[in-house]
Amino acid sequence: MTVDRVEDLLRQLAPQVLGALVRRYGHFDTAEDAVQEALLAAATQWPTDGQPDNPRAWLITVASRRLTDLLRGEQARRRREDSVAQWTLPEQWLAPAADRPATDSDDTLILLFMCCHPSLSPAAQIALTLRAVGGLTTAEIARAFLVPEATMTRRITRAKQRIKDSGIPFGMPSGAERAERLAVVLHVLYLIFNEGYAATSGPQLHRSELSAEAIRLARLVHRLLPDDSEVAGLLGLMLLTDARRPARTGPDGALVPMAEQNRSLWHAGQIAEGIALVTAALPRGVTGPYQLQAAIAAIHDEAPSAEATDWPQIVALYEVLMRLSDNPVVALNHAVAVAMVRGPEAGLDLLEKLAADERIADDHRVYAVRAHLLEMSGDHPAAVAAYRAAADRTTSLPQQRYLHTRAARLT
Amino acid sequence: MKYMILLYGSQQDYDVLAGKPTDKPPMSAEDIAAMHAYMGSYHQKLIESGEFVDARGLTAPVHARRVQLQNRTPVVTDGPYPETQEVLAGYTIVEFESFDRATEIAAGLVNPDAPGEYVDIRPVIDGIEDLVA
Repeated sequence: MTVDRVEDLLRQLAPQVLGALVRRYGHFDTAEDAVQEALLAAATQWPTDGQPDNPRAWLITVASRRLTDLLRGEQARRRREDSVAQWTLPEQWLAPAADRPATDSDDTLILLFMCCHPSLSPAAQIALTLRAVGGLTTAEIARAFLVPEATMTRRITRAKQRIKDSGIPFGMPSGAERAERLAVVLHVLYLIFNEGYAATSGPQLHRSELSAEAIRLARLVHRLLPDDSEVAGLLGLMLLTDARRPARTGPDGALVPMAEQNRSLWHAGQIAEGIALVTAALPRGVTGPYQLQAAIAAIHDEAPSAEATDWPQIVALYEVLMRLSDNPVVALNHAVAVAMVRGPEAGLDLLEKLAADERIADDHRVYAVRAHLLEMSGDHPAAVAAYRAAADRTTSLPQQRYLHTRAARLT
Repeated sequence: MKYMILLYGSQQDYDVLAGKPTDKPPMSAEDIAAMHAYMGSYHQKLIESGEFVDARGLTAPVHARRVQLQNRTPVVTDGPYPETQEVLAGYTIVEFESFDRATEIAAGLVNPDAPGEYVDIRPVIDGIEDLVA
């Protein structure tokens, strides 16, 4: 049994073991610590001593024992009154239980819903999801987000405390609430993916381990909810975007824009899988934003070159997307697509409107798009100024390098 | 009549079974295996005689929850027991003609090597009528 295979197995079992523990004994916060310790014990013991016959049962037993010890330690420390929690019983709890027993996959999904609880900040949702469902250690998460481990420990501890204090029951949200909560889960996975794909800070453009983890978790949710077309759309979007990763940076780590990427480097397997997911999802039910974005990514991925891209189709999809949600980034992408169909002036006109939107007006992406469109239109002095203004507004070093290089070419 | 025989234990007693060091004299692995074998065969005889109804052990007291209502809202207290307090640790339900037979059987569930150990026997009512009668 190699260390890697043990790690894969542990990451896969982590949410099942935590789910089983919280379902049986409650204490989400302490149970989570107990599971981490059990995972650590397995990670050190299994590669040398061999894997137990039933790894999941082994982990549950070890984690349960650890939970008992941790709870007793806590009990000794604090007075009984401190542990009193108010419970609010939803009416439907008094209804008969569901007609089928809970499964491990339900537990994993419930955990995702808990970790992505709306009472938590997005940063806390992300950290907790990666630890409790992803099975990553605090040190790994801290490294991925470039913060000190102590900071991440505090963030996770506070998030767990908040979940405990809010008295969220270990159960599937019901009805309409479930759809809303699933949207939050998908958004958290989307943020994890983006953080890995377009790192918002630091010397590296990609932190690919985060993207890989987001894809793994999206696959997991897709397996649990195969009929949800937005889940399929999100997974498709991630695969279709991640497929371009090998061509997205040059040998020196600099950003390569899509128009100049060597498309033979794109990951054909991921593209095929992403397209299959989108094709299957689109005719099913309401077409949501993830499916639309995935469809756009699919058009890019299928095009043999930037020029041969079906830009009118992309413009049309962005227009549907804009009707669904008032998102300035979507409007920005729409402006780019319009410029590709009708020329840079048409794109620049749309950018003027966006410049009045304070949510994005000062974002480096607006300046970068303006710079590209000005360059296309031949106004090089204005393009140089816009490239430099964009570089001043991004914290990503590869992006800064790229923008300064573009500016330098025109002077 | 059904009788419920209640067995008690403290967190310390659970620790003794788990082989952890406590203030009480430790039990060796053989002692524990012998005790499990004894309890197994003792209950097996009750099954064979048709007197057995049900028997269960409960998890360590640290996993208990106490539920009360305050202003009609459930208020839950986690594991409210000190380490040495004896709480219900398991039960055996048997069906006998007499309380005395139940008492004999209950005596067999007390560990002769554990001074002070006890079990309680509570006759089980069949329905609400038994209470008002």
